[in-house]
Amino acid sequence: MSTQMPVTVLTGYLGAGKTTLLNRILTEPHGKKFAVIVNEFGEIGIDNQLVVGADEEIFEMNNGCVCCTVRGDLIRILGGLMKRKGKFDAIIVETTGLADPAPVAQTFFADEDVKRQTKLDAVVTVVDAKHVIERLADKHGHEAADQIGFADVIILNKTDLASEAELAAVEKAIRRINAFAPIHRAERAQVPVDALLDRGAFDLQRILKANPHFLEIDDDHHHHHEHATSFSFQLDKPINLERFQSWMQQVSTIIGTGLLRSKGILDVAGSDKRYVFHGVRMQLQGDVGKPWAQGEQRISQLVFIGRGLDPEALKAGFEACIA
Amino acid sequence: MATLREPLVEHFGKSWQAEATVVAAAVDRASRRAAFAFGDGQIRLHDLESGEIASLAAHGDGAPLCLAQDVGREGFLSGGDDGRLVRIDAKGEASEVLKVQGKWIEHVASHAEAGLVALGVAKQAILLGPKGERRLDHPSSVGGLAFAPQGKRLAVAHYGGVSLWWTASEGSAKVLPWKGSHVAVSYSPDGKHVMTGMQDGELHGWRLADGQDMRMSGYPAKPLSLDWVGKPPYLASSGSEAIILWPFTGKDGPMGKPPLEIGQGGGALVTMVAAHPTISVVAAGFENGLVIVADVVSRRTITAKNPGEGRISALIWSPDGRFLLIGSEEGYTGIFDQKASVAVT
Repeated sequence: MSTQMPVTVLTGYLGAGKTTLLNRILTEPHGKKFAVIVNEFGEIGIDNQLVVGADEEIFEMNNGCVCCTVRGDLIRILGGLMKRKGKFDAIIVETTGLADPAPVAQTFFADEDVKRQTKLDAVVTVVDAKHVIERLADKHGHEAADQIGFADVIILNKTDLASEAELAAVEKAIRRINAFAPIHRAERAQVPVDALLDRGAFDLQRILKANPHFLEIDDDHHHHHEHATSFSFQLDKPINLERFQSWMQQVSTIIGTGLLRSKGILDVAGSDKRYVFHGVRMQLQGDVGKPWAQGEQRISQLVFIGRGLDPEALKAGFEACIA
Repeated sequence: MATLREPLVEHFGKSWQAEATVVAAAVDRASRRAAFAFGDGQIRLHDLESGEIASLAAHGDGAPLCLAQDVGREGFLSGGDDGRLVRIDAKGEASEVLKVQGKWIEHVASHAEAGLVALGVAKQAILLGPKGERRLDHPSSVGGLAFAPQGKRLAVAHYGGVSLWWTASEGSAKVLPWKGSHVAVSYSPDGKHVMTGMQDGELHGWRLADGQDMRMSGYPAKPLSLDWVGKPPYLASSGSEAIILWPFTGKDGPMGKPPLEIGQGGGALVTMVAAHPTISVVAAGFENGLVIVADVVSRRTITAKNPGEGRISALIWSPDGRFLLIGSEEGYTGIFDQKASVAVT
């Protein structure tokens, strides 16, 4: 009974198809029961599920970190749902179209009761293939880009409404913001439920398994400063862990709310095991991972997704952590 | 108490094991019957004299989220995730008092002399009394409710502070502001202080006469359980590896004074505290399932329940001080009978 309940966070711009996706997850014959936290009642056409309305209350923590905000209503609702554990297998949280995913994600790291009883499984972002480029350019482009930047899984929805050339351009735009989350193309949010649930995207050991080729991406470094972008770095020399940790603290403090996500797998000097970490904004978590195999090439890999990142400074900072 | 055999519940009480989480426990004002509310929807009633047990599903397919003694001598009030407030009467029969569509009733409190019931429903507190129903709005969700000792005021904790409402007259609330999320609230027995437990692992308080703030920080976890023990009282609080007791003596109360810490050593956090209604004794439940009973004057402790069976999620004395009710997240329930212990020792 001490196992933590997995929680999937569903984000996406207004009209991208979140509700369609949610209805799909709830009706597919996968034999699982979900508790669903929605931002608006009435949109969900399902009766036989636990559906709870949220109030989107964003609270600041008094811990001196201004960007550390949590969703007070989620703390309350997750606590209430966990009293009924045994009646469902997983929890899905739907956010509003303009919601910043950060307070939702941070709730899972900042509140002791939420942390004890639940675990964030993945942030799933639904993107409208026809309108996303336009959206990224309009006045809410910032929110739309942050939702993509935060994602562990991206559903590129309404592909039937876009041409192949448009889809290729959309995928390129998404990749510029988030180079790492798998993109699933879909019509009417038709995606296999396995692609969305039980991803373990925040599970440090799973990061190792799920990303054997963590950084094999096209490094198409556009300096696109107003929106989120992703950068990755690689070093083949061992890292001094203490120096790395204090540098990461500095980075997250300096970049502040601009830093959305970070992930890394490190070769630490003097250790025969990998060190794995991930961060949501300024909340960083790390742990020792599986050992390096005999003769395996040891490399350290690091990924940042955020706004206003300076890749040269990050590269120099990372290199200064070489032991 | 030193000659008592430990653990108390094993020697002088009874325990039961259920599947579902214990959400709350209560004893009616007559100390005749006890109730445990479970996460699977069941409410179990124990006749404390005869030992007879009855179960009812007061919230249909839903589950109770809070439980309190009713305004009268007997009976209970239970609020649920079905949006219903249910009264369980002296015969153990359930009837609906009120239904709020699509919302959860998360907090319930009652006051016998004033004949009032207060509910926490999302951002509203609902006050039910002889004069009817009032809905009190707040800027954010209700974190906790507490009546003033005479029932003249109701304190409602929320994000950004506490709202104090006069219960007998209309009008807006007096807001006691303090930045942050307030998730528990309690009135001092003399009605002079309002104290809250905060999301950030600290207690906050106000001296009502002049609005003077009090701040007690350093809790490793949220102090969600607060109670007042002894005379002059200590404020007992959960959220640390011992029972943290703040002395409310003199003009300045606990300000500038260190707290008393009792029951530390196990390394586990205290999750629930419950003050004995008549003597200077407080019970504390821990996250590892341990329950102790501590004498605040001698600072001696005895074990009421050994560790195990899950985190303690409910702990309360009967109003006459004879029975101690214990419930855990993993479905353990226990009742210690002090009279049985006296008969033995």
